[in-house]
Amino acid sequence: MADLVLDIKDLVVHYETEDADVHAVNGISFQLGKKTTLGLVGETGAGKTTTALSILNLVPNPPGKIKSGSIVLDGVDVLKLSQEELEKVRGNDVAMIFQDPMTALNPVMTVGEQIAESVELHEKVSKQEAMERAKEMLRLVGIAENRAYDYPHQFSGGMKQRVVIAIALACNPKLLIADEPTTALDVTIQAQVLELMKNLIREYDMSMILITHDLGVVAEICDDVAVVYAGRIVEIGTADDIFNHTHHPYTEGLFDSLPNLKERGEELQPIKGLMPDPSNLPPGCSFAPRCPYATDACSKKVPELRPVGGTSSSKHMVACDAYDDPKFCLRRNKDGK
Amino acid sequence: MANKIILEVDNLTKYFNTPGGLLHAVDGISFKLEEGKTLGVVGESGCGKSTTGRTILKLLQPTSGKIIFDGEDITSYGMKKMRRLRQEMQMIFQDPFSSLDPRQNVMQLISEPIIEHKLLKGRAAIEKRTRELMDIVGLAQRYVNVYPHELDGGRRQRIGIARALAVDPKLIVCDEPVSALDVSIQAQVLNLLKELQREYGLTYIFITHDLSVVKYFSDDIAVMYLGQMVEKAPSDLLFQKPTHPYTKALLSAIPIPTVGKERPQRQLIKGEITSPVNLPDECRFNKRCDFAHDICKKGNPSLKEIAPGHFVACSRVDEFVG
Repeated sequence: MADLVLDIKDLVVHYETEDADVHAVNGISFQLGKKTTLGLVGETGAGKTTTALSILNLVPNPPGKIKSGSIVLDGVDVLKLSQEELEKVRGNDVAMIFQDPMTALNPVMTVGEQIAESVELHEKVSKQEAMERAKEMLRLVGIAENRAYDYPHQFSGGMKQRVVIAIALACNPKLLIADEPTTALDVTIQAQVLELMKNLIREYDMSMILITHDLGVVAEICDDVAVVYAGRIVEIGTADDIFNHTHHPYTEGLFDSLPNLKERGEELQPIKGLMPDPSNLPPGCSFAPRCPYATDACSKKVPELRPVGGTSSSKHMVACDAYDDPKFCLRRNKDGK
Repeated sequence: MANKIILEVDNLTKYFNTPGGLLHAVDGISFKLEEGKTLGVVGESGCGKSTTGRTILKLLQPTSGKIIFDGEDITSYGMKKMRRLRQEMQMIFQDPFSSLDPRQNVMQLISEPIIEHKLLKGRAAIEKRTRELMDIVGLAQRYVNVYPHELDGGRRQRIGIARALAVDPKLIVCDEPVSALDVSIQAQVLNLLKELQREYGLTYIFITHDLSVVKYFSDDIAVMYLGQMVEKAPSDLLFQKPTHPYTKALLSAIPIPTVGKERPQRQLIKGEITSPVNLPDECRFNKRCDFAHDICKKGNPSLKEIAPGHFVACSRVDEFVG
């Protein structure tokens, strides 16, 4: 398909340490279309960030090791590129925004210089031109131009994140990877930054992978959603599929754990137990030990992603073998919600 | 009123002297809290919510105002007099990673307050009570000799809760107790806190920036902005009829996890929280407020009761309600 920006197939990443072999990513495959925003949702340690780092081949090695799989970015397999070729891709075709804007910026360079630096690295422009471009970028993210000569500590958290976004967008990337970009910000500032990102993506015709644990943020901004658990995608589809036709028990558990703003139920229904240790994953379906629907069969075989069909979109897939039984249905869907 | 008032805070202020001037961290907070209830305190970073919690527990000495706990005016109590009261007022901290001594195991951590306050004598009795507390907060007995770094955030937070419970407190100030936890674990801890409240009749002050958590958890909610309460109301009422422009903006900024259905229009507020140093005598929100008028520059509005239990501090409140 010509409309794909990114095509990941069977990605497996392990962190090999002396004590243990941590299976961070265990066969993740997904495709990202042009001008699409995909939300990668999951809890701490699900392998979201490792997947994102793999796209830029940035997994720290050692101990991290991409064991197998392919990551095709705009027709080129990133994993087969040399360091030099990779450096052209990073920042130019793909840019990344990290969670913590406080540590992502260099404290001894003015923010203008930092934006200009990334322009100079990737494009043949003079210092002045780069600085002009930096000011333009600042204006674009809603910061006054004259603040280009200020240092990061003179900015608030929300403003710093805007600067980071300006750096990421300075070279007009095709794909933006945002790793928890608003998690460190206050809600009102988060709303401002999300709005800004939404507009910029549309304006620049970019694709985005948004990594987050916040289902609210996903609903706000994402077209597609992939739910990740223990290094595997357990459910993937359009936002409507995931939110309104939930099929995986883990996804259901995530929704049930959220305090409901509309009605105040007496008790939340948390998922029992904890995320499994990625260096010692249970056999079969990794979610089985915590799953209220699990049967003996679940711990025997790793479930494959299967199309959901029915009222869902063609993209909707779920990895749960309970659907071998055609009558199987989650509680959430039974109530007619 | 059915329940007795366990905590009364009257015009509490806490200022800090900084090189730039006087920092108004907490600026005239008043409320009453009934036994067995929960007051949720919400606001953004720097609004003074944590300082309020700490000042109430006298971990910080208030600049002025009054704190009356269980009928006793504790405002001027020193360390010695507070020691006895520490048993009755406890705190649970945000970060279970830095609030536990890494060199103590679970047994030592949970028994420390029992030994410190001389609640029980003899090793056997202390150990029995510690194990009992582990059961209460849902920590499996096999963790008794384990150190904090071996545990995940949810379990560490359970240790923090067990430490607070060890002395049989009446009031617990929970400062962002679930912010550092994943949603599924967050729900487990929230359920635990609620269950303990029912069981032991605990009173909570629940400090958080997460409005959905606070709604689930609180009887009353106080919204803070730059050291002051701008609105206070029973939980459901605040969400149904938010009246202060800041509360409205705060509520509409919450990302709602639904797709396709009734998504309300976002009401973005401009700008960011201003510096709490050397504040002029005007409404503290007026520079960011869409409804600001000349009157908002004339004096800082105080809380006004617009309906039973519903207080708003806004110069134009009559127009909004009318």
